[in-house]
Amino acid sequence: MSDLDKIRERKKFWEDVVLKTALGRFKLEQSPNKFYSPLDIEGFDFAEKVGFPGWYPYTAGTYPLLPYAVVASKGGLPSAKGLKRAARYSGYGTPEDTRDYYKEYQKRGLRGGPNLAMDLPTQCGYDSDNPMARGEVGKVGVCIDTLNDFEIIYEVYTGELELDRIASNFTINAPANIIIAFYAALAEKRGIPLDKLRATPQNDILKEFVARGTYIFPPRSSMRMFRDSLTFLTKYMPNVNVTSIGGYHVREAGASRVQDLAFSMAIGTAYLQEGVNAGLEIDSFAPKFTFNAFGGSMELFKEVAFQRAARRMWAKILKEKFGAKDFRSMLIRQPLGAHIGPTSTTAQRPLNNVTRAVVGAIAGALSGAPPVAYPPYDEPLGLGWSLEAQQLSEDAARILQVEAKLTEVMDPLAGSYYVEYLTDEIENSAWRELDKIDGMGGVVDAIEGGYLQREIARNAHERQQKIEKGEELVVGVNCFTGENELDVVINRIVPHPYDETKREEAEEKQIKKLAEIKRSRDSRLVSQLLTELREKAQKDDENLIPHFIECAKAYVTLQEMCDVLRETFSEYEPVQF
Amino acid sequence: MEKQRPIKVLVAKPGLDGHDRGAKVVALGLRDEGMEVIYSGLRQTPEKIVQAAVQEDVDVVGLSCLSGAHRYLFSEVIRQFKEKGMEDVMVIAGGIIPEKDILGLKETGVKEVFGPGASIKKIAEFIRENVKEKGFAVE
Repeated sequence: MSDLDKIRERKKFWEDVVLKTALGRFKLEQSPNKFYSPLDIEGFDFAEKVGFPGWYPYTAGTYPLLPYAVVASKGGLPSAKGLKRAARYSGYGTPEDTRDYYKEYQKRGLRGGPNLAMDLPTQCGYDSDNPMARGEVGKVGVCIDTLNDFEIIYEVYTGELELDRIASNFTINAPANIIIAFYAALAEKRGIPLDKLRATPQNDILKEFVARGTYIFPPRSSMRMFRDSLTFLTKYMPNVNVTSIGGYHVREAGASRVQDLAFSMAIGTAYLQEGVNAGLEIDSFAPKFTFNAFGGSMELFKEVAFQRAARRMWAKILKEKFGAKDFRSMLIRQPLGAHIGPTSTTAQRPLNNVTRAVVGAIAGALSGAPPVAYPPYDEPLGLGWSLEAQQLSEDAARILQVEAKLTEVMDPLAGSYYVEYLTDEIENSAWRELDKIDGMGGVVDAIEGGYLQREIARNAHERQQKIEKGEELVVGVNCFTGENELDVVINRIVPHPYDETKREEAEEKQIKKLAEIKRSRDSRLVSQLLTELREKAQKDDENLIPHFIECAKAYVTLQEMCDVLRETFSEYEPVQF
Repeated sequence: MEKQRPIKVLVAKPGLDGHDRGAKVVALGLRDEGMEVIYSGLRQTPEKIVQAAVQEDVDVVGLSCLSGAHRYLFSEVIRQFKEKGMEDVMVIAGGIIPEKDILGLKETGVKEVFGPGASIKKIAEFIRENVKEKGFAVE
């Protein structure tokens, strides 16, 4: 009798006698717990399924070691020796307000480059004086209308923090190529060679159509813009990442864990294909693909398994579908790993979100990433995080690393019957979903047909129904809400890093400044450049980024460029809900 | 006998905020509760929202905003409703609305704010209890 047969026999006895006795004793119909054994991972092959960290299929880790195990001594985000890291996601009000924010940030000894949150008008291709922008200017991020706005923000990045010594992050998608052009134009004006610039534009337009909503043009024209960014960056700015693919947004919008993985892989595949279609070798650009983060949840073990499955799946796609030879093409490069998302936080009894964020950070630490206790607890209360909330978040991550020593061992859950089972299950389900999308003609077709959008809405609806029925429990929201429960509040003593008055005044200030810029620039040149842009945009083969750089230097506005593109590409018409 | 019809709700996303999970979940949830619900889609101007409310002859308008632009956008919608003499339409709101803004919004005319963690059942109950009699079916 084989070992597994022996175990099978014991399992039957355990179910029929041991468990049954306990069920009787505790008056339960069914056990509330599961238990996993070698039977659940029959045929498990360590070399095939896990392997060693930093080695195909990368299940155990992207790198052979955890570079983030070297904790930043001065706060900020965990980083590694020799790597440049941007600041936390930040920015608000006018460029002056954001510049001053970074000035304060630097006074606290932090050296990260700007991780720019831009306001919604900017993200949607509108200038601050557009009626569509009313009420939105400078709210969720800084307003960027012209190169001048970048010049102002980067006034505090000079000398030892010059552009060739920092890394910048730009959360921008539909007009990403224009923001890249602003950065390039800024560098050229400062005499910094483009190939010395380090940055990550989010540049992940496909998820905008299904999860985040800051699209401008229809999917196919947007993919042309993506191709432009891929080929331009690969050739001229090889230290700028091409994209930061976000399963995170898809999950936050309501996708299930499996959908998050499958849709991310589908979207990544579509982007990779653009490079191949442009005639480039896969290994010449795939290493510059990154992932923002995948989604997360409170279910710690499932998120650990998710990260492992994601690494394995991406590696297989690069190797088997795209024939990548360079191992660097096969890596999931992300600034953080498993975490909970804001949708797992509550506005009720918000300090509980610290506890929740710690659960996410533990999942991250156990699955090959730096522990990041994200989000800071006051995420659901309004725009921006208080310094107190950020402090608690930082300290939580430090405690997990240096006191709990959670990152001392790589992939400590490797070999766990439960976790290996989960990893396989998530991966297999994701492949099935990915095949389904392939059957629809690929992810762009699936988005045009509304498939991803419908699935995400359906899943979000089902989760809400479960919460309404009490099948899904959320502490302080649909359970443990009695009168005797305390709402623990802390007294804020430190001023919020974002000045609310400045944020309110930003719209008026920026509109005045924009008018001034339009008055003082060479309008004939602007007109000429826009006419040329129109001609170039109509030629599918033409890379528009060099022209955007010229436009940037002439202080053509973001909207002026986008409006020409709107004429050429038209605007995206969302699928009916 | 007065003609009975289900309560009609327009769930709308004013402004540029693209986070529509809540709006969609509320729309689907209120449909489950027997109401007739129209979802406006993203990037609606106050004008478009008011126009749709008039066209569809709705009883309730639910406004969702997570981008911090709620004070301007919601008050503008209400102002335009007043201009058209449509004070009968109940305006409720959701999204990320800081605690300190809620009183001001209510003074402007928002009947109630349903933020994160709000129960669809409670929203539906509130609507039924507070909507102006227009001859609707109470399920």
